[in-house]
Amino acid sequence: MGPITILTVDDSPSMRALLKHALVGQGHVVHDAEDGLIALDWLNRHIPDLVITDINMPKMDGFGLIEALRKQDRYRDMPILVLSTESSDEKKARARDAGATGWIVKPFDPDKLAAAVRRVTH
Amino acid sequence: MTVSGLLADENRINVIQGDFHVSDGEQIVLSTVLGSCIAICLYDPAIRTGGMNHFLLAAPGGNEAPDPLKQRLYGAFAMEQLINEMLKRGANRSTMRAHIYGGSNINRAMAHIGTTNANFAREFLREDGIPISHEDTGGSAARRLDLKPATGQIRCKHIPTEDVPRIALPPLRPVERAPAGDVELF
Repeated sequence: MGPITILTVDDSPSMRALLKHALVGQGHVVHDAEDGLIALDWLNRHIPDLVITDINMPKMDGFGLIEALRKQDRYRDMPILVLSTESSDEKKARARDAGATGWIVKPFDPDKLAAAVRRVTH
Repeated sequence: MTVSGLLADENRINVIQGDFHVSDGEQIVLSTVLGSCIAICLYDPAIRTGGMNHFLLAAPGGNEAPDPLKQRLYGAFAMEQLINEMLKRGANRSTMRAHIYGGSNINRAMAHIGTTNANFAREFLREDGIPISHEDTGGSAARRLDLKPATGQIRCKHIPTEDVPRIALPPLRPVERAPAGDVELF
């Protein structure tokens, strides 16, 4: 698997740093944003191969980001993974309905994350 | 800051290792006992709400050699749970204040664990932009910690490690959570 471009969206600077550390270590190019609005602004100017987003964020949460992206033709089929401390069926169903590709429970396991990235981008 | 007077046990919530709790209840006290573990107390005066977590910075990995990334992920997870719950209730990173407790080096054979845990907590809060208004870490004694979340009042009592078993705590129960790193594709 060659390197892909990934946008990570999380309001925690520490979590963004850890996620970047893990994904760059797997050979990927990683950009990050601290909330859904900043992510949307970046996505208006760039098209990554994958978005990995947290749910609980200020300004625009992960659900809002996914819904906004799925309304755009160029992001209708792009994989979007949710990465959250939450794991309730209700939240997962809401993410699925919004158009998420999958759900990963924090704390993420770097190996499982790598496998999930491979599966949704190939 | 001190917690004045004793409160009835029914108002006391014990925050065990791996757990966290956030409340604005006027009669609630969040309590824990710490050795090398860390408890972070967050309080936001703007919403009169506080919370406490309790973590041992370690990733479950059987007999595998500790992986620094995984260790840090588990500590970050414990912090994020607490911060997320505070934010959900209207707290703000700029108005929250943090206290750090624990990180004792009780066992000489594992002398570095408490210090490592305290360093992690300090660094995480700095990166996340949450001011640390008080810290009581290190040393070789255990700590009994009480937080009144509605006022932010905290009492931290140093206790000899031999007295720890005599402190009445409810039986440990497993913290319910989804397996770490679980992946579900839709």
